[in-house]
Amino acid sequence: MNSIKTAAKKTWNPYFAGALAGVLVVLSVWIAGKYFGASTTFARSAGMIEKTFAEERVSRMAYFEKYTPKVDWQFMFVVGVFLGSAVSSVTSGTFRKQAVPDMWRERFGPGIGKRAVAAFAGGAAVLFGSRLAGG
Amino acid sequence: MNLLVYGLVTGVLFGFLLQKAQVIRYEKQLGALRLMDMTILKFMLSTILVGMVGVYLVKDFGLVKLSIKATALGSNVLGGLLFGAGWGLLGYCPATNAGALGEGRWDSLWGILGMLFGAALFAEAYPALKPVYSWGNYGRITIPGVLGVNHWFVIPVVVIGVLLLFKWFEKKGL
Repeated sequence: MNSIKTAAKKTWNPYFAGALAGVLVVLSVWIAGKYFGASTTFARSAGMIEKTFAEERVSRMAYFEKYTPKVDWQFMFVVGVFLGSAVSSVTSGTFRKQAVPDMWRERFGPGIGKRAVAAFAGGAAVLFGSRLAGG
Repeated sequence: MNLLVYGLVTGVLFGFLLQKAQVIRYEKQLGALRLMDMTILKFMLSTILVGMVGVYLVKDFGLVKLSIKATALGSNVLGGLLFGAGWGLLGYCPATNAGALGEGRWDSLWGILGMLFGAALFAEAYPALKPVYSWGNYGRITIPGVLGVNHWFVIPVVVIGVLLLFKWFEKKGL
């Protein structure tokens, strides 16, 4: 495979990109001792936000004793995913400001409010579920 | 400090790959849940195959430790069902949500607010939910461990199974 040609392409084959991500997992575990994850970051971040107005209460909560509210490897990993996606989309011309996904629009219309309610409720269930399941 | 830099660099590379493969798109995530488009499974399972072989290799050289989560059926199944329902509504998972924001799909902002709310809610409910963790809890088990065989007997079986699944995806044009 011509690597220069591949890098310039807007989209990559998912098997190829996925396999590269696998190499990245191995290097991360090897070099930093860190496995990939994202949901713990939202638990810690919720704690960081709550600490700004109820520090004493947060310090007494069992869950935040287990998951200290702080910026750690995974927090930076999640920030990095945002930045990496921004770099890739801007350089390939696929960045697009969009309030409602196309598939959603076809079925539920262009209303931002409806999408906001579903995405918020979905996000809450995703995080509650992943914390319950163990990350 | 070093760890924070490693986290950022690893995340940038991962986010770049996720965007290139389009797996952070709402259409691709819902496409998988609606059994119409298996792009995200192709990506995810390719990552798992390479990661599985590579991590076990470096582990056999004594260079890394595995991070094995407990198999606790009560919390795994209930949490998984809730996660699935939420995933279908949001259309992103926690990492891809960050990636979706990076490529301008700003409905992911509602997802971030929802996830912070869900996390805060879970932290409140945690003491009451503790008994759930004891339902069907088998501890930190692995497939090779349960079968009592070396992991290199299990790994090729998983590789072959996933490759057959890939072949089927391509045959069906998924």
